[in-house]
Amino acid sequence: MFHPKDSSPRDLIRRSRRLGSALFTALVCLALSGCSSWLDGPQSTLAVDGPVARAQLNLFYTTCYVILVIFVLVGGTLAYAMLRFRARSKADEHAEPPPQSHGNPIIELSLVVASLGALVFIAVPTIKDIWFDYDVPKAERAEALQIVATGHQWWWQFQYPQVEVKLPYGGQAPLATANELVIPVGKPVHIELRTADVIHSFWVPKLAGKVDMIPNRANHMWLQADKAGYYYGQCAQYCGLSHAVMRFRVIALPEAEYKAWLANQVKPAHTVTGPEPAHVEQTVFKHYKQNQFGFSDKWMATSPTSTLNLWRAKQLPNPNEDPALIAKGRKLFQAKTCFACHTIRGHEGIGVTGPDLTHVGARSTIAGGLLENTPSEMARWISHPNLVKPGNIMYESGYIPNHITFQSGDVAALVAYLQSLK
Amino acid sequence: MDDTALPHSTALHPAVPAPRLWRPKAKTGLVSWLTTVDHKRIGIMYGLFALFFLLVGGLEAILIRTQLAVPNNTLLTAHEYNMLFTMHGTTMIFLAVMPLSSALFNFIMPLQIGARDVAFPRLNAFSLWAFVAGAIILNIGWFLKAGAPAGGWFGYSPLTSREFNPGSPIDLWVMGLQILGVASVAASLNFIVTIINMRAPGLKMMRLPVFTWMTLVTSFLIVLSFPAITIALVELMMDRLFGTNFFNVAKGGMPILWQHLFWVFGHPEVYILILPAMGVVSEIIPTFSRKPLFGYPVVVFSGVFIGFIGFGVWSHHMFTTGLGTMATAAFALSTMIISVPTGVKIFNWIGTMWNGHLRMKAPMLFALAFIWMFMIGGFSGVMHSAAPADAQQHDSYFVIAHFHYVLIGGSLFSLLAAIVYWFPLIFGKITSDRWGKIAFWVIFVGFNTTFFPMHFLGLDGMPRRTFTYDTNMGWNTPNLISSIGAYMLAIGIAIYMSHLIYAYFKGPKAPRDPWDARTLEWSLAAPIPEYNYAVIPTVHDRDTWWYEKQHKEEIARERKAHASEEAAHGGIHMPFPSYYPFLACVGLLVGGLGVAAVPFGHKLVVAIIGLVIALIGIYLWALEGNEGYHLHPSKEELES
Amino acid sequence: MSNHSTAVTADPHLDPTTSTGIPNKKLLLWAFLASDCMFFGCLISTHLIYRLHPAPDNIDPTKVFNLWLTSGSTFVLLMSSLMMALAVNFIQKGRIVAMRWALAITIFFGLIFLGCQFYEFHNFVYEHGMTITGSIFGTTFFTLTGTHGIHVLIGVIWLTSMLIYSFSDRFSKADAIDIESMGLYWHFVDIVWIVIFTVVYLLEFVR
Repeated sequence: MFHPKDSSPRDLIRRSRRLGSALFTALVCLALSGCSSWLDGPQSTLAVDGPVARAQLNLFYTTCYVILVIFVLVGGTLAYAMLRFRARSKADEHAEPPPQSHGNPIIELSLVVASLGALVFIAVPTIKDIWFDYDVPKAERAEALQIVATGHQWWWQFQYPQVEVKLPYGGQAPLATANELVIPVGKPVHIELRTADVIHSFWVPKLAGKVDMIPNRANHMWLQADKAGYYYGQCAQYCGLSHAVMRFRVIALPEAEYKAWLANQVKPAHTVTGPEPAHVEQTVFKHYKQNQFGFSDKWMATSPTSTLNLWRAKQLPNPNEDPALIAKGRKLFQAKTCFACHTIRGHEGIGVTGPDLTHVGARSTIAGGLLENTPSEMARWISHPNLVKPGNIMYESGYIPNHITFQSGDVAALVAYLQSLK
Repeated sequence: MDDTALPHSTALHPAVPAPRLWRPKAKTGLVSWLTTVDHKRIGIMYGLFALFFLLVGGLEAILIRTQLAVPNNTLLTAHEYNMLFTMHGTTMIFLAVMPLSSALFNFIMPLQIGARDVAFPRLNAFSLWAFVAGAIILNIGWFLKAGAPAGGWFGYSPLTSREFNPGSPIDLWVMGLQILGVASVAASLNFIVTIINMRAPGLKMMRLPVFTWMTLVTSFLIVLSFPAITIALVELMMDRLFGTNFFNVAKGGMPILWQHLFWVFGHPEVYILILPAMGVVSEIIPTFSRKPLFGYPVVVFSGVFIGFIGFGVWSHHMFTTGLGTMATAAFALSTMIISVPTGVKIFNWIGTMWNGHLRMKAPMLFALAFIWMFMIGGFSGVMHSAAPADAQQHDSYFVIAHFHYVLIGGSLFSLLAAIVYWFPLIFGKITSDRWGKIAFWVIFVGFNTTFFPMHFLGLDGMPRRTFTYDTNMGWNTPNLISSIGAYMLAIGIAIYMSHLIYAYFKGPKAPRDPWDARTLEWSLAAPIPEYNYAVIPTVHDRDTWWYEKQHKEEIARERKAHASEEAAHGGIHMPFPSYYPFLACVGLLVGGLGVAAVPFGHKLVVAIIGLVIALIGIYLWALEGNEGYHLHPSKEELES
Repeated sequence: MSNHSTAVTADPHLDPTTSTGIPNKKLLLWAFLASDCMFFGCLISTHLIYRLHPAPDNIDPTKVFNLWLTSGSTFVLLMSSLMMALAVNFIQKGRIVAMRWALAITIFFGLIFLGCQFYEFHNFVYEHGMTITGSIFGTTFFTLTGTHGIHVLIGVIWLTSMLIYSFSDRFSKADAIDIESMGLYWHFVDIVWIVIFTVVYLLEFVR
């Protein structure tokens, strides 16, 4: 590739570096354009929508640039040395050995100093960001939304300590919801991180980097959404059998919409009454394979705005509700001991081991963000919990070990009831 | 202790030379291998066990990649997947890369310092068999109903407590790691004493080959860092067996403590894995550049510095645990600092090549690829040191990409280089350079195809340790490419292994010093006699063998003088082989299994049986003494 | 080849067969003790960390500890170290009989220490209800002091084995290095106890 005899070494270094860096830049551009579709998923850390994630992203880019420069310099030199000094023939290999030089302290020292200098470019913004990411900026701390997020094997509870609700048997408690955290746009959110069992880690890549939920440790984080959207989150710390499917969503709503949502959440569970509709379609449940994708095709969309509209659609009332079937479902909820683990404010549910189901019908997902909240998926979850989420408590110490069985139609009734809880 | 409790109490009586009766006599065959104290044979066994476990860990990796090739795959269940990734990590670190380094330490290091064995040959045998015992305990879960450990290689409490993981697998994991720890510490103590105390005349510390230097630094790291994981495991075991409260949240236990103890061990462990690799590369690059190492003292001291600072960066594995601002900043800065000595090494390797005559043989290709891959892995490591950015990268596939670049691209590439490089010395056969290069390119391409896309997966938010992912997350293509790469990597390893096996059986006989190398071990011709050096060499220069090649007459004269001196002292003293290190390890195995795999109620009995066997082994070992026999090399051996 | 224990030299601190002159066994033991330092360091850290983050139902240690007893046993252990040093001195001068007596007294003192610890544990568990499972303080206390106790026990077994071995014909002044190594271990165990006594016991009485 190079003909050392034609030109001076200095010339060569320049040429090869230029060639090397041009090649490298071309490669990086090619890779990035080819892979850009690899980087815009719903959990992308490169397409962010909040100040915390943005600060982290900017720092990431800073490290990238510094490192790319060093890589081009060192890699270029290495590539040059490999090409320039390689033995090209058998004769070359057996030629007299080159001069046996032992090193050069000046070069060594200057390289050490140079690398330390390069690190300053990373160190300074790092330090700045560490303090920025730690908590809501002081000026806004007072009006920040307070959330207590609790990790469970394998679902999430979100409490709003600033919002009190009446409990079924008297007393007050913070509003609690599960697996879908709804926040207002443009307002900082301070999240206290708790766990009920093992270590989990709260991660919504588009809004903020992860912070762990560790037993006996009062961790917290903050985040803010800059625009309305539907954001994917996932547990990032291995937490046992179903760690991979411990997911959740953060839904950021414009202030007014958020208030309306909150007003509905505070209400006790919705009870469907009224005449039976003329025609009720009998739900036909699909057969599922284990670990099958739990969403319909419209969820292939990755933009937070389009998926937000899918969530909004879920807030609308169900058409054609069958009060008789729903009433039967409500009875089964008691008979099959569901109520012992799940709270449904205003109805019979009182337990706190499982997610609060007071407004489960208005959520876009169930089973910890794993399945779309449709009658069909809900039936799958209720009838085969261990196939959906291996090792979960509903299975481990719930109705299957208690030999609870469903008659035909039971699951449909339960699903109708839960879907009515908007 | 009452001496009647000793089953061989007669051995205590001076008149009965009982231990002598128990000396193994076989020079060949199975018993000779089980009782050997020869560092070369022990090294070879370490290597074979390590390569076996490399294949086991590789098979686990292939299953993992197959499961993740497509979204929502059902090839493996969640539990199977969790066992596989736990055991893949544990196996690759403790049973493949560490013992492979150990194999080289054992075989090469004593040769490099002109010694005839390590300082404590029987302790060395004990280390090997304790390692095997630990490996058996770790892996036996695959054959038990309860299955293999599934708590992750890091075993974070409280997931590993009895409450969340009641079965025997975690106990097996704990006991396996404990015994492996004993093996590693015992081996390292031995290496430390050997390197400090058994250097040939003239071999000052600053003349030691860099590989030996890195052996020394690594050994210190092992000796000082393993106690931390030992204590962590002891505390976990106490919790599991006796219901203590170290990590019992209800009584105020703090699971974060586990993480600190684990990573105080775990980060030096990273350097335990990479420093030997750096040592190997610092041997291969000068040899194939036909130049001395550029800036030898700088390479040595940067290695020592890495080892030292390696104890001050552990919390960068815990940037997401809410350390607080000050601690995070401190550990971020110390992590950045540690990248400097690492960078310095890369500069020095380039400096070594500068103006050299680079012979692109297979070991050199692996060594050069090491520099490239390690550079990429090192750079993503620097990216992690920016703690806030790491909050996005931590526990994502970005980290998987990072540490595989360091551990495969770094450690494993250099170990593969080392095997080809020293193969002629170890087995007396030359490997095919052509097939070595083919294996290299398949491995190199396969490795990058597997792990480069993982950077993108991580940045796109894919968390690690997940047995499945949904099809709408945008992770499908990189995962598929990565899985294809994994198969390619496996094919490359298969070619590599085959070319070694072929060379061993059918390869041409290696001449002495086939690479025109520089360090002392190459002055020997394979097969190396059990006493290594007929005459202990005198070292005149850093690149001893290179010097000897330039000063043949002076060296010949010197050898003659030393040979007659040594003959006057009664010849070469060789230690006897011994049954007892092996017996003690049988005790460890029985005891470990007793604590871990036996049901409650019988645990104590089996554990005590194991302890008694181990104690008998240790007592007899002490009583048989360290006598040996004398060898008198023939005239031509002395002159060769 | 390495273990030239037969090489009797005039100066017991110098082994001419090694590069540094330090006998291999001594160097091995020093390196091992460095490792053991980290081992105890981690256990002591665990205890201190939990001391800084006490659980609400923790026991008040000042009501449980009997400083007089523990000070006494600490003193006995220190005296055993003195006897150990004498034993090393005797064997280096070739006075095997004197060494046996010194070893025997070391063992005796070690046993007194273990007896005190056994009494203490028994007392804590049955009189004060402080158990290893009951509280985090109990857990770290018993594990730390128990681990130290096991070190002392191993030391006593080692000393006893050596004492018995010293009656064998094979035993000679050349084995001084074995006694010295054992002494290093014994002194280390004592020093660790001083640290434990200070940070586990005395610290609780500092107001």
